[in-house]
Amino acid sequence: MVKNGNEEGKNKGFSLLLPILLVFFVLAAVVFSVSSKLTREMSASAIQNLSESLDLLRCTIETILNKEAEFQQLVAQEIAELRDPEEYIRSYQRNQTMVKMSLIRVGKTEGVSSTGEVFTEEELNFAAGGMVNGLHVSQSYLNYMGAWAYTIKCPVEKDGQVLGSLYIEYIYDSLDDALPEGFYNGNALLYIMDAESERMVLKPKGMGERNAGHLNLEDFYRANEIWEQDIRGEVSSCLETGSNIMFYHDIQGKDSLNFMWSVNGGTIFLVGYVPVEAIQQEGKTVNQNILIVVAVMLIAFFVCCALFFVNLRQQNKIRKEQEAEREMHSQQLAEALQAAQAASNSKTTFLSNMSHDIRTPMNAVLGFTTLLARDADNPEKVRDYTKKIMASGQHLLSLINDILDVSKIESGKVVLNLNKFTLSDLVVSVDAIVRPMAQAKNQNFHVEVMGIRHEYLMGDMMRINQILLNLLSNAVKYTQEGGDIWFRIIGLKQRSNQYEHIRIEVEDNGYGMTEEYLKTIFDAFTRAENSTTNKVQGTGLGMAITKNIVELMGGTIEVFSEVDQGSLFRVDLEFRMPEEQIDRQFWRESGIKQILAVDDDVNTCEGIRSLMKETGIRVDIVSDGEEALSLFEEQNSEQEEYHLIILDYVLKNSLQTARQLREAVDDTVPILLLTDVVTDEMEELSCMENMGILQKPFFVSSLKEKILELKEEQKEEKRSMEEADMLVGLHFLAAEDNEINAEILAEILEMEGATCEIVENGQLAVKRFQDSEAGEFDAILMDVQMPVMNGYEASRAIRALEREDANLVPIIAMTANAFAEDEKEALEAGMDVHVAKPIDMELLKKAIKQCVQKNA
Amino acid sequence: MKRNFGGNVKRWTAVCLAALIALSLPACGREDPGKNLLTTKAKDKKTVRLYSPMEKTMAGGENVARTAFDKTVAMAEEKLGIRMDYITYTADDYQDKTYDDVAFDRARNDMDDLYLLNPDVIRKLAEEGKLVDLSGLDCAKNLREVVKIANVVDGKLVGIPQEVVVYGLFINEDIFKDCGLKMPNTPEEFLECCRVLKENGYETPVGANRWWLETFVFAQAYADLYNGGNTEAEIAALNSGEKKYSDYMRSGFEFLQELIDKGYIDAKKAYTSEAIEGERPDFLAQKTPIVMAYWSAANSETFYGKTDFNMTVIGFPSSRGQMPVVSMTGFCVGTNAENKEEALDMLEVMLSEEALQEYAKINRVISPSKNIETDCIPALKPLNDRIEEGVYVLGANASMKLEQWGNTCLVVRELLGGATVEECMAELDRLQEESMKK
Repeated sequence: MVKNGNEEGKNKGFSLLLPILLVFFVLAAVVFSVSSKLTREMSASAIQNLSESLDLLRCTIETILNKEAEFQQLVAQEIAELRDPEEYIRSYQRNQTMVKMSLIRVGKTEGVSSTGEVFTEEELNFAAGGMVNGLHVSQSYLNYMGAWAYTIKCPVEKDGQVLGSLYIEYIYDSLDDALPEGFYNGNALLYIMDAESERMVLKPKGMGERNAGHLNLEDFYRANEIWEQDIRGEVSSCLETGSNIMFYHDIQGKDSLNFMWSVNGGTIFLVGYVPVEAIQQEGKTVNQNILIVVAVMLIAFFVCCALFFVNLRQQNKIRKEQEAEREMHSQQLAEALQAAQAASNSKTTFLSNMSHDIRTPMNAVLGFTTLLARDADNPEKVRDYTKKIMASGQHLLSLINDILDVSKIESGKVVLNLNKFTLSDLVVSVDAIVRPMAQAKNQNFHVEVMGIRHEYLMGDMMRINQILLNLLSNAVKYTQEGGDIWFRIIGLKQRSNQYEHIRIEVEDNGYGMTEEYLKTIFDAFTRAENSTTNKVQGTGLGMAITKNIVELMGGTIEVFSEVDQGSLFRVDLEFRMPEEQIDRQFWRESGIKQILAVDDDVNTCEGIRSLMKETGIRVDIVSDGEEALSLFEEQNSEQEEYHLIILDYVLKNSLQTARQLREAVDDTVPILLLTDVVTDEMEELSCMENMGILQKPFFVSSLKEKILELKEEQKEEKRSMEEADMLVGLHFLAAEDNEINAEILAEILEMEGATCEIVENGQLAVKRFQDSEAGEFDAILMDVQMPVMNGYEASRAIRALEREDANLVPIIAMTANAFAEDEKEALEAGMDVHVAKPIDMELLKKAIKQCVQKNA
Repeated sequence: MKRNFGGNVKRWTAVCLAALIALSLPACGREDPGKNLLTTKAKDKKTVRLYSPMEKTMAGGENVARTAFDKTVAMAEEKLGIRMDYITYTADDYQDKTYDDVAFDRARNDMDDLYLLNPDVIRKLAEEGKLVDLSGLDCAKNLREVVKIANVVDGKLVGIPQEVVVYGLFINEDIFKDCGLKMPNTPEEFLECCRVLKENGYETPVGANRWWLETFVFAQAYADLYNGGNTEAEIAALNSGEKKYSDYMRSGFEFLQELIDKGYIDAKKAYTSEAIEGERPDFLAQKTPIVMAYWSAANSETFYGKTDFNMTVIGFPSSRGQMPVVSMTGFCVGTNAENKEEALDMLEVMLSEEALQEYAKINRVISPSKNIETDCIPALKPLNDRIEEGVYVLGANASMKLEQWGNTCLVVRELLGGATVEECMAELDRLQEESMKK
């Protein structure tokens, strides 16, 4: 349709162009025709004009010549009457016209002259000069004054008898005044040429140039480049016959009318040229005006055309825009429909997956419950079934947690719980979970920490853990047996002094992902495989959760992957540094001022030095055990002692060196083996006095803990004994509305030697506590979601009671509301600790211990 | 966007229409012409008539030399509001009256106000009292000594040139190189060069005309006189008749005779040839390796300024080496000139430092003003070097009673016409005697 529209537009344009061109050509033809006609008429007019001017000049000169002849006749008559004509001649003073007067008496060849010398007729040629008023005129010549002149010969007669001849010399300069000054405004050139000699005898003053041809006719031809033989021939013919000629010829690049105008019967000629434009001055103006009018009309015409085309183009543009807009809307609608269909499909797939994923463990639970009922008498089977039920329940729980997590994050209800944490805790906790998983698949799990300057940071460790576990568990999951998994924490250049910029990389050489899948990896409800067809289970929400959490923390996540090559997840995060980074007090109290690190790994050494820098403790590094040993062997009392030795396990004969060092160094100096793998031999070694194992990667906090651990090692056993009997004899008040849960709780506590009293809701719990004697209950286990009064309200009510122990009795929240904000709310309600359901006995014991001890 | 575009189109249309209306409005108005339909022209300016061999050029004229001259005229016209009318004459052929003949006629009959005259004409007319003393003009104050010497007659400065004309030999350097020749310094060396050139197929090695062959004579005759340190005394001896011009000039005439006899100069052709016109075509066509001409001919494309070969200009051969011959054409004012005052005013401007500076800059010639220096083209360097050294002879010297340039030229012409050296010497002696009678 669009194409058709364009073609239609083009056709329209062409169909309009043709009449425009037609109008243009018609206009041009009319203008050309008018202009040509005008030029022809003006040309004829110019010739006419010049002819008339030249005729006028000819008449003027001929009149002057006639008057000169008439005057000469009068002078001759006067002389004839004189007694002494010679005296008259001699006394004549020249004027501007008649410059010389001479007389030759009849029958003589010599006479007198006004200039004094003897006068003869020899030098004068009267044959070629023609006649004026019946008198002979000589050919032009250069006279005694250096001026071009001619002489008129007149008989002196008295009473019909010829007495002699009077010769009067006239100079051509006198004719100059009769000629127009500045012929055609000075644009034209006008000479008087003697026909016989073809010499220029009068030329205009103050114009022309050396090349103007002022000398003679040949010079005139040369200067004006008149080489055409036909023209020259015609000019010669005219000169012979005494007729006029006018012809067009370029002079100095200008179209000019050249003329040879016969005067006095062709004895002299007016010669010269007039540029056509000098004659047709009005013609030039007319032509210019015509051109201006035509130009204005053309401009107007083209402006109209341009406006029309612009308008047409604009309309086309608008039409195209509208079409494009419609098309875009259609496309958007189609895309929306597609997206809706995709979303629907996604949800359908998700529901299908979920249905499958939930039903599977549920089926296991139900199935094993049935089996449990059947085989209740067989303790071995019962334990096996309960174990499997427990596993299925755990899986089910994780599924539900994930789903809820995603929906919470997506609805923006997640709040980060920012606390101080250490990277060492993070790494240790992650390592503790992931390494066994990796080992189970014979995978090599590498932990690398580089360039970290501050390990105490502010952040939501739980969420960071969640990110790392998601990534690492995926890496384990999607890497073949025996593969490698790298977990790197890299310190990047700080953008601000207050923030540590950290990059977390999780890399594997596992199955990898296709490019298509990479595009949707962070979308919710997608999974590389369909759970119904693949054994790898999961909600498919892990990466979406991860990305959402990373973005919630203001970070970025990237993924690079190639099928069968592996994947790399890169997370960049910034964590604010707590104001107090270093616990210098600890180091002072521990008495450690100098540490010796024995390691040949440069990165590790630099890591140790970098991290220890802020503690103010000096770290000396030696690259092998022998050097370390020799250092201690040579050590004397003057030298400062090392208060701690860190020995890298990867060193050659590291264990042997450790033993040797132990023997060489005082027992009070702790020796720590830095390793990422703990072997039996190492365990054995660590039993030695003040000897321990420090898990790689190196962190100050780990070191600190290890030092504390070593110091308190002796008390450890006793403390664990105490913990074992911790709950024995305690009495709890439990608020739990769910009968089954209440029963389970009662049974578990009973197993631990404790007793409990169950109430159905918060109100009853408050009442029961109110009615109890002081110290009757060691703690209150409080469910949150209960009818009548929930756990929060009940806790507040208990804390508000006017009893001495109302504020002291530990209240432990036991709830399925497992989010951080739930915990926060619980603490705000006055509860002491929060334990998430389902109940983990160890966690419960730990929480009870924490609360009860505090009150003890 | 659409609305804005539409607005722009409307705005531009309105602007275009307004411009059209504004342009066409003047066509509707017309000035009131009054009753008299003729427009009266202002009366013509006062004029000064100049007799010179050249016509007044229009702007963009081809000849550089004249353009420079015309610029100075234009300068004067503009400054004084006076128009210069040029009266020109050029002989059609050798049978015609010469430019100098006509100059005499016109000056003697007071036909013009200003004249551009050759040294011999200046001297004669000054002796006849037809020329005005120009020493009172401001422009005369900075003249070089050589200029003053050459133009003072009877204690009056009667002519002032716009350039000091230096004559030299124009040599086709390529031909000389091809023939293995060096630039000649002495007459003997020059003759040897001519011999070799003739042997190499250059039939007439020296291109000559009827005007300038006397330069050879001057160079040899006066090399010692002007460069020997006893100039004044020697001139005094010549003026008193104690010494003879013929004694000085004999060697030069004999030299010319030898050139003619050996066919190094075509005497017949030279006798009827006008200056430059006769020898230029052969020199440019590299048929003639040597010609003589004046300084600015080397700068002018219409003469020898543009050649297809390497050209160099040297002095004439003499016993003192290459010898430039200095002459000058001077501007003079007629004693009875109709517009004498105006003519003097015009000269004052045309010969002012500013005008001469402009003239020298355009034509690259030696200025008559001692305050103006000239750049010279490489070809002229040998000639210029001699002038800078102060080595030259004068072709015309007003302090000599016998007019030099014109008389010697005529006697040389006699030699060309077939007279012997002895006859020429006799003529010189006669002329000397005549001059002493005046």
